[in-house]
Amino acid sequence: MNLNINGSNLAIDVDPQMPLLWVLRDSLNLTGTKFGCGIAVCGACTVHQDGQAVRSCVTPVASVAGAKIQTIESLGTPEKPHPLQLAWIAEQVPQCGYCQSGMLMAAAALLKRKPKPNDADIDEAMTNLCRCGTYQRVRAAIHRAAGAQA
Amino acid sequence: MKRRNLILSGLGITGALIVGWGVLPARSRMGKPDNKLPTEGEVALNGWIKIAKDGGVVLAMHRSDMGQGIHNALSMLVAEELNVPLKQIRLEQAGHDSIYGNVAMFVGTLPFHPLQSEGVDKPFLVHSGEWIVGKVARELGVNATGGSSSVKDAWEHLRLAAATAKASLCLAAADQWKVPLQEIKVKDGGISHASGKSAHFGEFAQAAAAQTPQNVSLKDRKDWTLIGKPSARADVPAKTDGTAVFGMDVRLPNMLFASVVQVPQMGGTLSSFDAKEALAMPGVVKCVQLTSAAGSAPGFAVVAKSTWHAKQAADKVKAQWAQRMEGAIDTKRIESELKEKLKSEKGFTFHEQGDAAKAESSAARMIEAQYKAPYLAHATMEPMNCTAQFKSGSLEIWAPTQVPGLARAAAAKVANVSADKVKVNVTLLGGGFGRRLEADVVAQATQIAMALDGVPVQMVWSREQDMSHDFYRPMHVAQLSAALNAKGEVESLRIKSAGDAISPRWMSRVLPALSGPFDAPDKTTAEGLFDLPYGFANQHMSHVSTRMGVPVGFWRSVGHSHNAFFSESFIDELAFETKQDPLAFRLSLLKQAPRYAAVLKLAAEKANWGSALPAGHAHGLAFHESFGSIVAQVAEVSIQGSMPRVHRVVCAIDCGTVVNPGTVAQQVESSVNFALSAAMFGKIDIQEGVVQQTNFTNYTLVHMAQSPVVETWIVPSMQPPEGVGEPAVPPLAPAVANAMFKLTGQRIRSLPLKA
Repeated sequence: MNLNINGSNLAIDVDPQMPLLWVLRDSLNLTGTKFGCGIAVCGACTVHQDGQAVRSCVTPVASVAGAKIQTIESLGTPEKPHPLQLAWIAEQVPQCGYCQSGMLMAAAALLKRKPKPNDADIDEAMTNLCRCGTYQRVRAAIHRAAGAQA
Repeated sequence: MKRRNLILSGLGITGALIVGWGVLPARSRMGKPDNKLPTEGEVALNGWIKIAKDGGVVLAMHRSDMGQGIHNALSMLVAEELNVPLKQIRLEQAGHDSIYGNVAMFVGTLPFHPLQSEGVDKPFLVHSGEWIVGKVARELGVNATGGSSSVKDAWEHLRLAAATAKASLCLAAADQWKVPLQEIKVKDGGISHASGKSAHFGEFAQAAAAQTPQNVSLKDRKDWTLIGKPSARADVPAKTDGTAVFGMDVRLPNMLFASVVQVPQMGGTLSSFDAKEALAMPGVVKCVQLTSAAGSAPGFAVVAKSTWHAKQAADKVKAQWAQRMEGAIDTKRIESELKEKLKSEKGFTFHEQGDAAKAESSAARMIEAQYKAPYLAHATMEPMNCTAQFKSGSLEIWAPTQVPGLARAAAAKVANVSADKVKVNVTLLGGGFGRRLEADVVAQATQIAMALDGVPVQMVWSREQDMSHDFYRPMHVAQLSAALNAKGEVESLRIKSAGDAISPRWMSRVLPALSGPFDAPDKTTAEGLFDLPYGFANQHMSHVSTRMGVPVGFWRSVGHSHNAFFSESFIDELAFETKQDPLAFRLSLLKQAPRYAAVLKLAAEKANWGSALPAGHAHGLAFHESFGSIVAQVAEVSIQGSMPRVHRVVCAIDCGTVVNPGTVAQQVESSVNFALSAAMFGKIDIQEGVVQQTNFTNYTLVHMAQSPVVETWIVPSMQPPEGVGEPAVPPLAPAVANAMFKLTGQRIRSLPLKA
């Protein structure tokens, strides 16, 4: 099966029904994308499929063959971090940090679609769960990054 | 039981064990250089601090970071005393030594009333109790991250270790440069002299190790440059680019993955299983039976080339389970049993003051209410997992654990090897909240590793396994009653509660050698009820300790998590019944406790208590002390459908001296959301022994759109640091419930809250 992950084309021999999450984590060792619930509720596994946020724990890998998959590992680079990553640091968003890859990927997809989201847009797009309760800092960081992008 | 005996059983052990144990003074927690493994090019100056060749400071990190920012806070303490920038501190996991034990956490288990155990003139009983338990805890050296105690515990000795290291480096520099010691300056991460000489720490490390400085003193607080100022956490960047390594992110060469299925009937057993179909599936390597160890449930694990392959195959194993001998556990039945025991059993008296019975017999009016709180799961975002490899008689564990030493002991017992054959690597924790004070998953991963001789295996629980095999916050019920005199004043407060004790069950799982046949009275049952700061003349607080068979564990803020709901809701009832403002009523009861009153006033002032709010909104107030810190919260609430919508929570906290105010704000925000999830949705039901909640669909957490704005106001303090990770959890539920009462006129006495 041919996959395009973080800009690289890969030929990989996997069960077509295997969820993308486990291909990323266990076959490709891209562990930045997290397992939280396995039923697309918590959003810890959020990645981009052609720029859209998808929950990789319920996405069969066969369904993304040919699509451009982006994970947290390529959201930015050390030289050129994504504005959201800078905002996340500035607002000191993460606590345990486990859900934050998914939060960032969901937020990045939101900003792509809506560069200046209001609070209602954020409420609607950011349905990811965070047990540490970082929500108000996530919101502040999205606003900060949206301002920085302008 | 007499109070005297209670002190000795503060650790759940008998007095006999303590007699004859040597004294280990607090100062010896600095440790010796050989507490740490020597690393090439680094020089250990004591049990905490090594100096690297390039002048970097390597700190032995003994505490686990589960989001609370403790790695950063402890680094700040060391950087402060060494006069180095925070980024000069590198962390290395501490080894196993009693100096890394958590003394403050165990001293915190003593059931003393805070107003009677504060300050320098504390009673002899309190003083000696703390001394004995402190001594035993130092000997035990249990390395645990819990009880909101890490900064409190490290406060003296870690700064002393850094200050002593600095003094040694200065002595070495003075010797080498042949200048008077008092002319040596330590700043900007290096050592310098007015003559223009300067060097980094690495150049004096060897010579410093041979020095024994006398009269080391800690910095005066007016000279602090780091402590007390917001510090950007060093762990944050790695948590924004996917490079942070949690337990599940450990990757080893040739690693396999395991998925676990445990007995669905709580307390039940595995009768038989047939793994034929599972073993024939692609990528499947083995099926391993799991026996109960360190509190784990029996079941089996399927090992395969990926977590998904393992899970698919585990679902195909045909297993026969049996209910426990005593009959199936059912939470409805437990609730009625607890209510019955509340009536029929006497319980243990944790606090008695004045004569409550006399006040009641002459009361003009009694106010009584019964409250209830359900079982709760921890639901850490990172599901339970552990990685293990058994090779040539040695075991290596990679675990997101709050108790590395107890994990090591559990693994060694399962593997039947000595503890020194077990290495435990502590990863970052994707949430802990007390769930990772257990060693069940370590015991399971060890069994799997033993069966896969030489191959590393990562065991990951599904969310469903995680939800149904937790160590739950216990269900408790409480009867509260107040006697009013003819003038309508409250003369007495009586609180009696019933529910399982956590500490003895935990001890039996992770410290079985110290676990006795009888349960000592457990502070966690009555904390937040017996230790109220309110000045009621007559008080009686007791608890009926039960054993309902549900595995119970420490859940963020522990007994306070339900008891504050009981006590602070009832205080609100008393204010209403005596026609007083809830703030004024509380303040009138805190005349002897000005430190407490100040916190309450600050929250009220910042929230504009008493001011007009939008139509359909109301303020609710609650106030609670736990883990040494005093917290007041004002919640602004409206009702949507039958649910509370919490718009804003203003929180004031007195947690003593603050190391990182940024972290305090984070922890308050975290606690409010954690507590709100429980207040709105949290409930574990058990029917026919089976936990009914399975995933986030039916064990719901607050999400972005339901999350309140949280404001944190810190009371400036010169007192030593107190807890931060938990104390803002307990007041949230009663603050919201009290606001709902204002809106609806209906008093809610059961969690989760429904209008």
